[in-house]
Amino acid sequence: MKKLFLLYLTLFSVTSFAEDGPRTDSYRKWYIPDHMKLQFAGNIGFMSGGPGYISRNKTLETDVLFGFLPKKFGGDALITLTAKVTYSPWRIHLKNSYNIAPFSIGFYSSHTFGPQFDSKWPEYYPKGYYWWATAVRLGAYVGGKAGRTVKFNKKVRNFEAYYEVGTYDLMFISYVQNTGFLKPSDILSLAIGIKMSL
Amino acid sequence: MKTLLNTFILFTALINISCEGLFQYNPNQVILKEDERNLNLKNVALIQALPQKDTTRFILMGDTQRWYDESSDFIKSANSQRDISFVIHAGDISDFGLSQEFKWVNQIMQELKYPYVTVIGNHDIVANGPLVYKKMYGELDYSFEFGGNKFIFINTNSREYNFDGLVPNLPWLRSQLKNNPTDKNAIVIAHVPPFDADFDPNMQNEYAQILASDPNVKFTLYGHQHTFKNEEFYEDGVRYMTTTSMGARGYLIVTTWKGGYRVERVEF
Repeated sequence: MKKLFLLYLTLFSVTSFAEDGPRTDSYRKWYIPDHMKLQFAGNIGFMSGGPGYISRNKTLETDVLFGFLPKKFGGDALITLTAKVTYSPWRIHLKNSYNIAPFSIGFYSSHTFGPQFDSKWPEYYPKGYYWWATAVRLGAYVGGKAGRTVKFNKKVRNFEAYYEVGTYDLMFISYVQNTGFLKPSDILSLAIGIKMSL
Repeated sequence: MKTLLNTFILFTALINISCEGLFQYNPNQVILKEDERNLNLKNVALIQALPQKDTTRFILMGDTQRWYDESSDFIKSANSQRDISFVIHAGDISDFGLSQEFKWVNQIMQELKYPYVTVIGNHDIVANGPLVYKKMYGELDYSFEFGGNKFIFINTNSREYNFDGLVPNLPWLRSQLKNNPTDKNAIVIAHVPPFDADFDPNMQNEYAQILASDPNVKFTLYGHQHTFKNEEFYEDGVRYMTTTSMGARGYLIVTTWKGGYRVERVEF
């Protein structure tokens, strides 16, 4: 689990480094996060939250979210670590410091921890017995967001609220092979969240 | 900031209550409605309330895993059969052990004119599958009596437990067969047949022996192999039958009476 955490950490720092480059607008070191996100649902926890980075042109966000699903709400207590990349190509600036990003598209890789979940199947299975890893899910989503720039704690900060409609690998393959019984809405679910720039 | 956070929490709490299924928290969550719980117990009660006749006719099907379209076609075929009392699902209800899959299959099976009962398959044991199965269907080993029959359902998915010598639970099987004072037909139903590589090789012979040494056991029923089989595998008087998968679009109709039985293969 520790190893995996380090892997995720490396993964997102490399991505963000590649996207960000050296910053000219502040003295902040490259590894200091640009924002924090807090998300509800979206198959990565009941609530999930964590730091993220944004590209210089403000279109590409990379986030690491630590998610938790309490047993009370999920039937089983589950901890998830997710790396997530969201691309929002257009931003419309409105009056009164409001702005909208009407379209976002993104994908994520999430790891759910627990002895019942494997990223590599144990040796007592023949090779290829099960073809998927139960611990790791790959998902994709589309969404949008709206934000406002406000002065907060003597700093100009951007607050955003976003939504995402998405699915993940195992649901997608189930749908593709059963378009008679399943509707797209059967495999899609909604996530909502907020973001605060640091 | 605090107000924003509070609003956010209140907002999520509100829509969470109002729109069920709109939000998913984890693929491995186990959130079931009341009518998705304890189904085997509830359906056994429905079966036992049926009028008892000299012959019992039931359907054995299985391996619905990721074959929802085909499973829906099975319902149409099964509902057109006559005199069926109930349906047995021979396991591999789900493919990935996800509660969403169990829910979809139950939704399909609810369209049957008959109650259905299940036995657990190896795919139902991956990830949080056992947790889902126990909540949705009940015990992994169980039995019930109907008419002149005792139906015994047993978890034979040994590989999922790294062949630890405890699955299948042979002492339990022995006691179930022993506890049959009126000599009803004993029908043992499981997912993995004993001659399959996923059945504990060290327990195969003992298992077969337990069945063969009980005169009330004439045949025994399985899924898993995705093909029809009907053979006396151990040449000991017990016929081993497997039903095929929903993907292969087939199932069995079993008719039993005192001292006899008949099995038909159906393709749809």
